[in-house]
Amino acid sequence: MIEDTSANILKHADENDSADIHTDQTIIVVEHLGKSFGDNCVLRDIDFTVEKGDVTCIIGPSGSGKSTLLRCINLFESPSVGRVKFHNEDITHTKRPDEYRKRVGMVFQQFNLFNNFTVLGNCMVGLKHVLHKKSNEAREIAMQYLKRVGMESFVKAKPRQLSGGQKQRVAIARALCMSPEVILFDEPTSALDPEMVGEVLNVMKQLAADGLTMIVVTHEMQFAREVANKVVFMENGVIVEQGSPEQIFMHPQKERTAEFLRRAQ
Amino acid sequence: MIIEILKEYYPMLFKGVGYTLLVALVGTVIGLLIGILIGTYRTMPKPKNKFLRAMKRVGDFLLAAYIEVFRGTPMMVQAMVIFWGFALLNGGATLDVTVSGLIIVSINTGAYMAEIVRGGVISIDSGQFEGAHAIGMGHGKTMFYIVIPQALRNILPSIANEFIINIKDTSVLNVIGFTELFFQARTIVSINYQTFATYLLVAIIYFVLTFGISMLLRFVERKMDGKKNFKVLGSQNMDADSFVREEGGIG
Ligand SMILES: Nc1ncnc2c1ncn2[C@@H]1O[C@H](COP(=O)(O)OP(=O)(O)OP(=O)(O)O)[C@@H](O)[C@H]1O
Ligand SMILES: [Mg+2]
Repeated sequence: MIEDTSANILKHADENDSADIHTDQTIIVVEHLGKSFGDNCVLRDIDFTVEKGDVTCIIGPSGSGKSTLLRCINLFESPSVGRVKFHNEDITHTKRPDEYRKRVGMVFQQFNLFNNFTVLGNCMVGLKHVLHKKSNEAREIAMQYLKRVGMESFVKAKPRQLSGGQKQRVAIARALCMSPEVILFDEPTSALDPEMVGEVLNVMKQLAADGLTMIVVTHEMQFAREVANKVVFMENGVIVEQGSPEQIFMHPQKERTAEFLRRAQ
Repeated sequence: MIIEILKEYYPMLFKGVGYTLLVALVGTVIGLLIGILIGTYRTMPKPKNKFLRAMKRVGDFLLAAYIEVFRGTPMMVQAMVIFWGFALLNGGATLDVTVSGLIIVSINTGAYMAEIVRGGVISIDSGQFEGAHAIGMGHGKTMFYIVIPQALRNILPSIANEFIINIKDTSVLNVIGFTELFFQARTIVSINYQTFATYLLVAIIYFVLTFGISMLLRFVERKMDGKKNFKVLGSQNMDADSFVREEGGIG
């Protein structure tokens, strides 16, 4: 980009810099992003772009920085270098991360449902107090999304009364209620018993089919292969390779990618 | 003997109980509000702006000083200092005794509550904060709607404890002439000279008050935990069915 230092341009001249082309469809651009905790460098030089309707799956071994990357994107962590752009606006150091997060949802590995609310309350609280909807309208919207994830009959339950898969579906409904432009998923099925993984992945597949833009950190290779249109493979804090599922799964260019996929199968 | 004292002096004793309850209740509630405000302020994320960050540190220091000073000195002494300090600053005009009592107990309780609330907030899983931030809540909304309600549930026993302590400790307000229960007892003794019987009666009254409140708050606690079960609406849903079965198996 224009404000790039020439050093950066030189450094990246040989790389496929799709991050540098902004179109109307572009929602998020991550540019040269790096993150260190103290002198522990966890992310280096991350570049990628999310277009409207993209389902981006981020895969990679444990500790490679996938969660940290997602947390940088929604500003839970503040990037040490580089930028995150949202609709071509640099929001890396925005004063109002809360305004930005209204438009970028997140679903967590540990669900993080509000323990002091029922299922319905979890979905309504943001509608009422963040988006300032009237109670009736909030309830209608919440019910609509709870139906979509198949949890409408549990409206009165408290989170502790639900199974893991049910909690995660409510968490997805809660994120959907805010009508975000993108939802970030951090290993949404990793804390689930195997028999519950399917119900959550099915909901996510449906959302992808409906055109929701998603960034999904996952160990579910099958899901990435079927649902994603972009796959990002990370290791040791860098993106080793990114491309279509076809490219990554069938014709990986880097030996590391191939090796990881062999072991992950 | 005790019955006779009760019969003869019940209007005075009643008044004493009334004032004791008033100041203990108001003091606990305002103290709790102070504690919640301080707890919310102290857990605020560090401002990015340098000036605001410095301001926050000054605020943190002042609050820490407030907490340490009020926890580190007896309430009886605080009562004297505040009551007579006010008089000194206002050319001898003293503040109304009831108002003084309410202020003293409130800010004294606030110092303890600040620490209790802080403990309650720390005990809440960081996932609750992140869940709230992720739907666009700022610190204030996160605290008000999500964290404080859960923290309050956890610290309810400590709040009850503070309330009970306040019922007993308002007795020190007799030093500024506040007509709470202990003050009334002293007045009665100065009339009837039945020191033992009068104080025994007062002891019983204090105990009935604190024990009653203990029971009441335990009831509130159970109420707050809510129902163990919930109704599954419409059972055509497969998951709902299996869930009902699971629940039945456990219950
Ligand atoms: N707050 C933190 N402070 C210090 N180091 C951290 C912090 N958060 C993460 N790290 C480190 O950053 C590295 C990447 O962690 P991260 O959680 O992003 O990995 P991940 O790819 O999500 O792994 P997993 O698949 O196990 O979830 C790890 O080495 C971790 O120890
Ligand atoms: Mg992770």
